[in-house]
Amino acid sequence: MIVTGSRLRQMGWVAVLAACVALFALLSFQVQTVRSEVLLAEREIISLEREVQMLETEFQTRASQRQLAEWNTVELGYQAPRADQYLDNERQLASLGVPAGPDAPSPIRVARADLAGPDAPAREMVSPITGAPVTLASLDAEEDAGAMFTEAFGDFLIEASPIRAAKAQSVASNRPNDTVLLSAEVAQ
Amino acid sequence: MTAMALGAGLKPPRSSSQPGSSATERPRMNRDSGPAIPAGRIHTVHMRQSLLVTARLRIFFLVAMLVVVAAIALLRIGYVGFVGAPPSQTSLAEALLPSRGEITDRNGTPLARTFPAYALWFNPRAMDDDGAPLVSEPEQVAARLQQIFPDLDMERTLNILTSGRGGYILRRVLPEEANQVFELGEVALEIPREFDRHYPQGSLASHVLGYVTENDDRRLQGRFGMEQVLDEQLSDKLQRAQPVALSIDLRVQGALEDELNKGMLATDAIGAAGIVLDVDTGEVMAMASLPAFDPNLSDAQHSPNIYNRATNATYELGSTFKPITIAAAIDAGIVRDLSKPWDATPVEMAGRMFSDHKPKGDTLTVAEALAYSSNTVTMRIADEMGEARMRQVVQDLGLNDRAQIELSSRGKPQLAETRPNGTWSRLTNMQMSFGHGQAVTPLHLANAYAAMVNGGILRPATLQRVEPGTAPRGERVFKASTSSRMRQLLRMIAIYGTGQSADAPGYRVGGKTGSAEKSGGGSYRRTALISSFAAAFPMDRPRYVVVAMLDEPKGTKAALGQRTAAFTSAPIVRQLVPRIGPMLGVRPDTNRDVDISDLRYLIEGRR
Repeated sequence: MIVTGSRLRQMGWVAVLAACVALFALLSFQVQTVRSEVLLAEREIISLEREVQMLETEFQTRASQRQLAEWNTVELGYQAPRADQYLDNERQLASLGVPAGPDAPSPIRVARADLAGPDAPAREMVSPITGAPVTLASLDAEEDAGAMFTEAFGDFLIEASPIRAAKAQSVASNRPNDTVLLSAEVAQ
Repeated sequence: MTAMALGAGLKPPRSSSQPGSSATERPRMNRDSGPAIPAGRIHTVHMRQSLLVTARLRIFFLVAMLVVVAAIALLRIGYVGFVGAPPSQTSLAEALLPSRGEITDRNGTPLARTFPAYALWFNPRAMDDDGAPLVSEPEQVAARLQQIFPDLDMERTLNILTSGRGGYILRRVLPEEANQVFELGEVALEIPREFDRHYPQGSLASHVLGYVTENDDRRLQGRFGMEQVLDEQLSDKLQRAQPVALSIDLRVQGALEDELNKGMLATDAIGAAGIVLDVDTGEVMAMASLPAFDPNLSDAQHSPNIYNRATNATYELGSTFKPITIAAAIDAGIVRDLSKPWDATPVEMAGRMFSDHKPKGDTLTVAEALAYSSNTVTMRIADEMGEARMRQVVQDLGLNDRAQIELSSRGKPQLAETRPNGTWSRLTNMQMSFGHGQAVTPLHLANAYAAMVNGGILRPATLQRVEPGTAPRGERVFKASTSSRMRQLLRMIAIYGTGQSADAPGYRVGGKTGSAEKSGGGSYRRTALISSFAAAFPMDRPRYVVVAMLDEPKGTKAALGQRTAAFTSAPIVRQLVPRIGPMLGVRPDTNRDVDISDLRYLIEGRR
């Protein structure tokens, strides 16, 4: 039965079998990892759901009907709408208007400045206190499109993942507002 | 031959090629007394046999294992395929399943919910040995606990920590505080998770919601109100995930309690009750009894305010009953011509004189009698109608029985004294006509008014939301024509008569005032009044009935020194209706009203 060369074949089979077993074990571990991650995520969902419920209840308790009525009597003074505050149709609305008399003053127009025309150059940003020009920190760092895309995609992936959302945050994803404020302070 | 040899116990050498083994076998062979058989052939045959058996056994084991594995796989496939997917998400759903279902209003705003809370419990046997239960000194532990809970009662805490018996140190602890306690490292300080029933709206609608208490197996159990009525559904494992919607509208309830409270304070009354009822479905949109209790408090059951004035307390209706008498008379054909003048001079019955509070002349039409609340005309109409018909209407409207509603606290009406044969005397009938000698709950009154204005059909009041199109059919009490006549008459009371102070502009309110002296100690007390106002709006197509009632209002300056309903409870309705109308889908419209052109001259002609 045993012929020459079959030993090699046998060893090949064994190797294939070992590889399969290894792959299978790897897969099993992977499955277990994912499962535990799901479990962790589930636990987080439960705790968040509980917190939402708690906060919702607290909000409703603080904004209970009695409290709202109290605020209304003390501070707001809202009243139920009167019958003459309702309009049936557009015609009734139009009937409220009065035609302009011959010596009526011309209607008030609100002043308006053309801040940004289609071809007007973008105005430079200056500090409101010193008048010194401000350069945005985000503009300083010249980034190529590829890096920006990578980062954005990374952020997207982080956001899409149900787990470890809180921890992971890229450094450059600070809001531009903060950056402006910071550099304005520096300019002073 | 072989079989015989084997049967005789001959043991041939295993193999001739194994010298070691044959050497050991030889002495045994010699011991045998049988003849030496040349065993080569037998041996070969036997070896073949045993090899065959071994091979077959091996194959059998292999096949058996495969069969077992295949069977398990098939079973699994069958189970997954037929029974369903393996439970994968139950842990999440189970963890979020409340221990007691949520109660919401008709729009889904939660009115009662359960959430996990923590308590601080001292367990002296937590260490499981005979040593001291605490690692540090009790004084130190108490001091550190006080750092976490500044308003902790030190003396009581020390008593518990040194007593050697378990006990609650604190009943409710926040999660952050629980973590801090955990960091103290005392095993004996346990933080058991408990479930807390919370009513976010506080005492609002407390008589409708009720309260819960912990029963013997430490489970929350409804003891009052809808918590008690729905107890089974709220604690059932399969149903409690779904919140139960009541018929109450939270905003309407808030407005009702607010206005009742204002009216109660303005007139210095000892209590108030109010109901807003949907006339077409019987749903209670709001129901209040003031002063209320707070179901969040653990001693809610000991509150004196637990008494529900809207469904439990019975009051004499007074003049609010008069429209019911008139409706019965119109229905019976006693009043056909509304312009017919009725004698309005004082009535003398059984040695007593009955007269109107403010006489408006010797004769009055029915419309005037209602508008000016004439006792004498109503008595004469009831007399002409007869007690049998009156009794029938009272019975049809359910005024002689407990009100139909889910709550368990329903008062039994106290009716006029009935003769042994079940009939009423003439005096009883006539007194009954203007609401004296019978005490019913405000809910009875609201339900009767709903039947009077909705086309004549009485439906049981309910506190559970009725899906559109599934309202009960109800029972006909009045003819539809009677009902439409009553809408006109009720609206005329609010335009010309005692109900003027309830006429909210644009909402077409119609209703009747009622001021009855409270009975007490066998006679009426002139100083203690029950002033009520029963109204419906909008009268051209009635949607809701509003009943407002004040218990013992005083003649304060706000009420212009008067205690009667026109000055105390009717203004509450005037304030309330504009607040709740837009929420309930009733738009104010001054160009719209019920057609009273055929009756207007009856009152305006006299002016």
